[in-house]
Amino acid sequence: MTEVGLRTEEFQVNMGPHHPSTHGVCRLLLTMDGEKVVKVEPYIGYLHRSIEKICENRTYHQCIPILDPFEYVTALSCNYVFALSAERLAQIEVPERAEFLRVIMLELNRIASHLIFFGTTAMDIGALTPFLYGLREREMIMDLFEMTCGQRLTYNYIRIGGVSKDILPAFVPKCRETINIIKDKVDEYEALLNGNPIWKARTIGIGPLSGEKAIAFGASGPILRASGVKYDLRRDDPYSIYDRFEFDIPTRQNGDVFDRYVLRLEEIRQSIRIIGQALDGIPEGDFKAKVSLKFKPPAGEAYTRIENSRGEMGVYLISDGTEKPVRVKTRGGSYNHLQLIPEIATDCLIADLVAIFASFDIIMPEVDR
Amino acid sequence: MTKDELKAYIESNFSGKLTALDTGRYDLLFETKKGDLVELARALRDDESLKFDYLCNIGAIDTRERFEIVYSIASTVNLLRLDFKIAFSYDDAEVESVQTVWPAANWYEREIWELYGIDIKNHDDLKRFLLPDDWNQGHPMRKDWDAPDFVRFPEFEV
Repeated sequence: MTEVGLRTEEFQVNMGPHHPSTHGVCRLLLTMDGEKVVKVEPYIGYLHRSIEKICENRTYHQCIPILDPFEYVTALSCNYVFALSAERLAQIEVPERAEFLRVIMLELNRIASHLIFFGTTAMDIGALTPFLYGLREREMIMDLFEMTCGQRLTYNYIRIGGVSKDILPAFVPKCRETINIIKDKVDEYEALLNGNPIWKARTIGIGPLSGEKAIAFGASGPILRASGVKYDLRRDDPYSIYDRFEFDIPTRQNGDVFDRYVLRLEEIRQSIRIIGQALDGIPEGDFKAKVSLKFKPPAGEAYTRIENSRGEMGVYLISDGTEKPVRVKTRGGSYNHLQLIPEIATDCLIADLVAIFASFDIIMPEVDR
Repeated sequence: MTKDELKAYIESNFSGKLTALDTGRYDLLFETKKGDLVELARALRDDESLKFDYLCNIGAIDTRERFEIVYSIASTVNLLRLDFKIAFSYDDAEVESVQTVWPAANWYEREIWELYGIDIKNHDDLKRFLLPDDWNQGHPMRKDWDAPDFVRFPEFEV
């Protein structure tokens, strides 16, 4: 066959806003040359609920359930970052027991989030079974949350000054049982995927991100650590009682899809270690400091950030001494990670774009707010 | 470097450019002049003992008297954190982009441009992205914009 007269032409195609692999409603406007992606332009805003503006017209306590769906996969982090921010402004001392409960719940939530990542990423790349496995184990964590605060997705559990309810006596044994099961299952997940030649071909060397670029674009959390930067806010900007626990901060060097996946599985193991130590040390005492319903922190402002499963989650909170905050600026890891997609996904194949997007674990409510 | 050492270092090396505010706070907060912004940002990033290479957040604030923009930055090498802010009046609502220093600023500045109506100079991609394309009701994050509690959509009523 002769090639004389044959030519290719660039064309534009919309991926999303309802494409299943965009995990929410994100529209990527792709300029394609055959199967090759020449240019990616993300369009966001389909989930914009103006959480920041709504919070300005609510009291501090009312802000916590409003912020729950800011990042619904790890809603406890949203509760926590706002509560911590208000506590720092008002200089509230949180009881020891509450700190332990918070750490246990936050780490359980991190595991649940990484299990979703494990399942959905594998599903986007074409392996359906991990999705069933990941959600099966996540279900056990959801049961623990339901047992404690009655909710399964948006918890409204961590309040200013502590947590809303104490744990039941049955919680500790059940939690131990759950983390022991998940610990074994993580090995099983790795056995399922790590040696699989199709999985390796689809992930190794795909979408590499250098450490310098990751820092410059404000990438955080697992994305940053998979690119070789050892930066974890639990250790490097410590909050709560994380300095009392022994855990490692895993890093990987290549920053490709495979590294981001392996790193998250390793983080599940570290979270299990933290939960194990925290369960051993829960002290007796109050689970909530006395905070008035008409909570009025003194005038001031603070940027508070925590390590969420999707990177740095922050709140810039400004108080003028009244019942309502002046400004609640929220920051989520996905906001920066979505900016990175056009940087690393140009000149890749469209199937790899799906893998890269999945490996960033972007969740759209956190981007649109 | 502890918080006090960082404050002392900045007061000796950036005197006249950064003024400390609100010292009782958890993290340090400084104020700077709008004209110095980009130069100062670059100096903070490139200073060997600071190396503020990581931009956490940019937030705009409408205080009902003036606009403020606060930059939260961190160093992944020296594990430092600080905030600095600039303030300007409503009539002078424009600011230089810091995209050349921290590329992460891109969307944060776009959001400020869209929701506050503060013009960002030298920004390469100022496009609407959070609000609907046909939005014509001003800048919703300004304090004089009242959030409606309940909105009717007559076209969808039966």
